Amino acid sequence: MKDEQLLVALRRAIRARESVPADFVTAAKNAFAWHNIDAELAQLTYDSTRDLDPVPSTRAETASIRALTFTSAHLTIELEVTPDSLIGQVVPGEASTIKVQPKAGAETAVTTDQIGLFAIEPIPSGSFRLHCRTDSGVEVLTGWISL
Amino acid sequence: MRDDPSVIALVHRVCGGDQGAWNELIERYAPLVWSICVRYQLERQDIDDVGQSVWLLLVENIADLREPAALPGWLATTTKHECLRVVRAARRHDRHGLPPEEQMPPDLSATVIEQEIIDAELNAALRAAFAELPASCHELLSLLIGDPAPGYAEISEKLGMPVGSIGPTRARCLDRLRRSPHLSAVLYNQPGSVKLKETRR
Repeated sequence: MKDEQLLVALRRAIRARESVPADFVTAAKNAFAWHNIDAELAQLTYDSTRDLDPVPSTRAETASIRALTFTSAHLTIELEVTPDSLIGQVVPGEASTIKVQPKAGAETAVTTDQIGLFAIEPIPSGSFRLHCRTDSGVEVLTGWISL
Repeated sequence: MRDDPSVIALVHRVCGGDQGAWNELIERYAPLVWSICVRYQLERQDIDDVGQSVWLLLVENIADLREPAALPGWLATTTKHECLRVVRAARRHDRHGLPPEEQMPPDLSATVIEQEIIDAELNAALRAAFAELPASCHELLSLLIGDPAPGYAEISEKLGMPVGSIGPTRARCLDRLRRSPHLSAVLYNQPGSVKLKETRR
C-alpha cells in the first residue's frame, strides 16, 4: 500500500471503531461474565407495540401499556407494563428469583410467588435485562429491554 | 490464509477464562458486529438485542471453534442470522397489507458480508498496529487523519516539529505501520487477492 492509501485506510479504521457506541462495547465486554453462568438466553417473541392488530383486544385487564414475551427452551417470561410497575410471570409457574440488571447501575432482585408472579417497582429507566433463576435451577437471561 | 497469530492467541486466552483477552477480542470485532447490524438498518434497541445474542453465543461456543482464525467469519455469519431473526420477528407482528416481497427481510449477499469481514480484519489490524507505534508517530498520524487534516504549518506548531521534517517523519511512521506484524497477517487478504476467494468459499 502506498503512503496515501495507507493513511486513508488508517483513517477509515479509526472511524469504524469510533462509530461504535461505547455502551455497545461495554455491554459486549460484560457479556464475558456469562461464561460461568449456565443461563439460557430468552428471546423476545412478542411485543405489543409491534403488534398492529386492527381488532381491538377483548382482554378485560386494566391499563396494560405494553406486553412483552421472552421465550427460551425451558421457560417463558411474560411482562406487562402498567403505569407504575412492571408485572410479570414465569411460565411454567414456579417460585423464582428475578434479578434486574440495568445496563448502567446496580442490580436489584425480586422474588416471585409460588406461581411465578412478580412485580418490579418502579419501572426501570434505561435499558435492562432480567435474569431469572427458578427454585428448580433453570436460569434464563432476557434480551435488553427499554420501556 | 486467515491465520493472524494474535487472534489465535487471544482465543486461547479467552478459553482459559481471561477477561482481558475477551476485552481485546471485543475491541477488535465489535465494529464488525455493529456494521452488519447497521447494514440491516436495525434500530438501536434491536442492535443491542443482536449484540447480546451474538456475544452470548460466542461465550458458549468459543471453546468449540475448530479454527480460532475463522472467528471473524463465524461472528459475521452469527450476526447476520441474529439480524434476520430480529427483522422477521418485527415483520411477523406487522399486519399491514404489504405485498409479500416487501415483507421479506432485506438480506445481504455473501459478497457484502465477505467484504465486511475483510474490512473488519484490515481495520482491526491497522488499529492494533497504530496502537503500538511510538508516541511521536502516533501523534503525527493522529493529526494527519483528522477531519479536516491540518496543514503542515499547523502540525509544526502543535508538535513543535520543523515543517521540513514532517514529510520524512510521516513517511517513516507509515513505513513502521506497514511493517507491523499485525498488518502483514492481513495485507494479502485485500481485494484482488485470488487466494482469499479460493480459501473462503
